[in-house]
Amino acid sequence: MSARETILDAVRSGLGNTAVDPAAVRRDADALLQDLPSIRPALLADGLVDAFIARVTSPKVAATAECIASASELPAAVGRYLEAFGLPALVALQPAAPLQALDWSGFELHDRVAPDETIAIGVARWGIAETGSLVFHSGADTPILANFLPLHHLVMVRADTILPFLDDYAAATAGQRPPRNVNIVTGASGTTDIEGSLVLGAHGPRFLHVVIVGTPDSSE
Amino acid sequence: MHEATMSFKARAEEALANPTLKIAIDRTTGTAERKRAVAMTQFPQFDAARERGKRIKDHVIANLDHYLLEFERNAIASGAKVHWARTAEEASQIVVALCKQAGAKRVTRVKSMLGEEIGLPHALDEAGIERVETDLAEHIVQLGGDRPSHIVWPSMHRTREQVSEMFKRLHRAPHQEETIEAMVDSARRELRDKFLTADVAISGANFLLADTGATCTVTNEGNAELTTTPPRVHIVTAGIEKLVPSMGHAIAMLRLLVRSATGADVTQYTTFHCGPKQPGDRDGPEEFHIVLVDNGRTRMLREGMKEMLRCIRCGACMNHCVVFRQLGGHVYGGTYPGPMGAVLTPVFDGLEKSRDLPHACTMNGKCQEVCPVAIPLPTLLRGWRDRSWREGLEPATVRFGLGIHTFVASRPRLYRLGTAIAIRVMRLFSRGGLVKGMPGLGAWTAYREFPAPAKRTFMEMYKDQEKGQ
Repeated sequence: MSARETILDAVRSGLGNTAVDPAAVRRDADALLQDLPSIRPALLADGLVDAFIARVTSPKVAATAECIASASELPAAVGRYLEAFGLPALVALQPAAPLQALDWSGFELHDRVAPDETIAIGVARWGIAETGSLVFHSGADTPILANFLPLHHLVMVRADTILPFLDDYAAATAGQRPPRNVNIVTGASGTTDIEGSLVLGAHGPRFLHVVIVGTPDSSE
Repeated sequence: MHEATMSFKARAEEALANPTLKIAIDRTTGTAERKRAVAMTQFPQFDAARERGKRIKDHVIANLDHYLLEFERNAIASGAKVHWARTAEEASQIVVALCKQAGAKRVTRVKSMLGEEIGLPHALDEAGIERVETDLAEHIVQLGGDRPSHIVWPSMHRTREQVSEMFKRLHRAPHQEETIEAMVDSARRELRDKFLTADVAISGANFLLADTGATCTVTNEGNAELTTTPPRVHIVTAGIEKLVPSMGHAIAMLRLLVRSATGADVTQYTTFHCGPKQPGDRDGPEEFHIVLVDNGRTRMLREGMKEMLRCIRCGACMNHCVVFRQLGGHVYGGTYPGPMGAVLTPVFDGLEKSRDLPHACTMNGKCQEVCPVAIPLPTLLRGWRDRSWREGLEPATVRFGLGIHTFVASRPRLYRLGTAIAIRVMRLFSRGGLVKGMPGLGAWTAYREFPAPAKRTFMEMYKDQEKGQ
């Protein structure tokens, strides 16, 4: 008997050989996701953008954030960031249309992220207000390594793509073919492996800066 | 059997005599305990979430065959290859064979307790394949040539001074400054090119999603994604109990897992891996393999231990265990230390070899109280004690001692006389309300004091009160 059959048999005999009705299992599984507000934390603010920013900049996530009115202001925001850190205008730009459509004059751009890349600019598909997370899908315009190799990661996210809870991301993509990787990124890379003390920039980025594009809550 | 008894006790003696170990344990577990407590005050829904988490896991276990088949079907549809392993040896052999098939010279690994459980580090070393541990703590364990001592902080038994010394000796461009930041940077430099030049990546999985065939990893360092993206082959090893019906269920479990493990609300990186590189993808492996491992899990199902299959490996039970916090993880001798380890190790290694572990417990119930899926750990430990007695594994001295106790305890007059004498003798040795040493109590008082007993026994006082009425 194959390992597969042996294991499945052992599972069935361990469970007492009950016949499974897939529809009933499905119903039970769905029932376990009812009344979600009772099993998840409340948001930090009423407005989604405010709640998202409050999380991103909280001590637990320890990233930085700023808002701009339109994507066309992104290069200027990047310029200010580089100046603040005294970094040269040499950046890896994620090969995504919303970024490449912008006017990057004055920057030296490349789309392959080097192993010791100083700064990379990316765009997230979604933001999550519950956790201050950014969600990326691997694909033709999203190399996964671009999220992990640079020392500074600057990420643009549109205000209208900020979802309240992680569950809303699951619901938004349910039934679609998943990408190879879904990265839910919350803050910069960190480790507490030496005596429990937190150090940022373990293997991934040491700095995460989030740029939110669009209408803030106050003017909605 | 006697040797196993000795070796546990010998290991415990050694741990207690180690001057730096207690400091190292306290630094990490103390921080973990405090951070978890803060996270709980910020998550008043925890009790309801925990009850739900428990029900999700129980639902999966009750329909495990259904979910295994659903997962397998969807994983294959995503382009993954699914392998099944009955035992630890079989699982290791499958992984090593896949590495050889890929012509692998260098393999990068993401920390996985299942990997440790099946002896994968050893199997890869035996096969002559260069193994690079990428989790910082596992990197420290690899450089130190020892074993993980905690499931979340595998190198918590090392002080910063010891880590600094190892990095200086073994890294190509070690840190100059004596700070933890500089040491972390040294590891970053050391591992960077290894991530990018490995032939095969091996990871575990925190969850397996039945409805898509995806696997989920959580890390704070980002080493999982750096490990599993560049090589041509990615192999996942996971226990069959890791299944959840869907991403929504995984999210409900993640809220419990991360808060219980580190006190954070979510790890920095939560990644769902689904199949190999897709057409058009900029990066990712060409091959994606998943090895589903039984190794005693179906036996746990059969032998009345199915609650233990809820375990999501957060480590809260050990961070809050009074025994673990005195001794650290190595003393337990198995892959998993602390309360959950004391329940699991007899499953993997046999009760004959590990009968001391269920006894290394004060039954204070703290582990069950903090467990995010409410596993009745003290009850399961008592089950092992009971079985050890029934199977005659308890040593003759214990059986003899308990025999005397039973003889006396079932004769009330004799018992009352005995306790009345005993407390009076013990009081002769008490100083300031504590017994710090007494013939026959040496094993106890070597490391702790015994509170002085009351002047008279309960029954003596009770009888006086009866007379007075």
